[in-house]
Amino acid sequence: MKQFLLKVEPVIWLLFGQGIMIGTMLLTGWVLVMGVLAPLGVVDSLSYEHAHGLASSLIGRVVLVALIALPLWKGAHHIRSLSIDFGGADRDTELATFLYGIASVGSLLAIVAVVRL
Amino acid sequence: MSDPPKKTFVITRFDPDVDEVPKTQSYEIAVDPDWKVLDAVNYIKDEVDGTLSHRWSCRMAVCGSCGMMVNGEPRLTCKDSVSQYGDTVEITPLSNFPVIRDLVVEMDGFMDKFKKVKPWIIRAKELAAEDGPVRQSPEELEEFKQFSMCINCMLCYSACPVVSNEPEFLGPAAIALGHRYNVDSRDEGASERNAIFRGEGTVFSCSFANECSEVCPKNVDPAAAVNQAKFNAVIDWATGLVLPSGEKE
Repeated sequence: MKQFLLKVEPVIWLLFGQGIMIGTMLLTGWVLVMGVLAPLGVVDSLSYEHAHGLASSLIGRVVLVALIALPLWKGAHHIRSLSIDFGGADRDTELATFLYGIASVGSLLAIVAVVRL
Repeated sequence: MSDPPKKTFVITRFDPDVDEVPKTQSYEIAVDPDWKVLDAVNYIKDEVDGTLSHRWSCRMAVCGSCGMMVNGEPRLTCKDSVSQYGDTVEITPLSNFPVIRDLVVEMDGFMDKFKKVKPWIIRAKELAAEDGPVRQSPEELEEFKQFSMCINCMLCYSACPVVSNEPEFLGPAAIALGHRYNVDSRDEGASERNAIFRGEGTVFSCSFANECSEVCPKNVDPAAAVNQAKFNAVIDWATGLVLPSGEKE
């Protein structure tokens, strides 16, 4: 497992790095608009048909997968790093497998859900 | 004229021939407000207790010898004024290093890490002297100049949570130094160093706590170097996948 993690570390870091950008910039704006401003009526809500049309376009599907999957990798990598820094956890134990496992399963589910839109 | 203010310096003492564990000793001395913390430690050594051991040399933040923990923070003691601290100042040896005696720590492991990143200019083909100098533009110099300002004071290793948990971690200064050569326009050894950077206990072990840059007395910003090194190591890795022979060239 240790050798495997070492090999895929660049990939994990890339997903993490993109997750930071998406999670910090896009997701924050997304939650603000869709979760707060639209329900409060500050901005106009999209009709179901309009929203579905946007989401099921090719770009919409890619954006949705990125918005759901990448922050999962960001979270997994952050929790792993924090557990090592603050909790003295071992770098290559079950923790990493567990966290990246969740991110992998979540990413797969996101892809399946978005494909089925 | 009023008496000079007094401060109490609580200093960690450890004599490996006598002590099993470190102990502390307090020294109350009159301090000149213009003193640096190092001046106070030197005064104690010269005038109060000659058995106290500590390292220092240049007294102007160039040699990097006088790093110590001051009130729990890694500091270059020739740079910090005594007046910025309260009546009691606690001085201990740098964290994350084995202690040889009192405030003196073992540097060998730290120095060994530098060799691992090949901190010299690597050329595919050495140039002959008659080829003349390899010129650099100011912009090319700017790429690495900041990272070459490190004085090896070891404060970043003392502050780094990863070094604390994993002593074999290559660490901020060594990675910053390797990165300094990777972004030097005269160097052609980036692939070699990137392969090292993808190994165990190197750039990807960094959790980007940023503590190294917080404590760096020379504003080297090793955390930035480590993260740029991560990015370059990833790009180099991806390039190697597309062009398998790329790494060997």
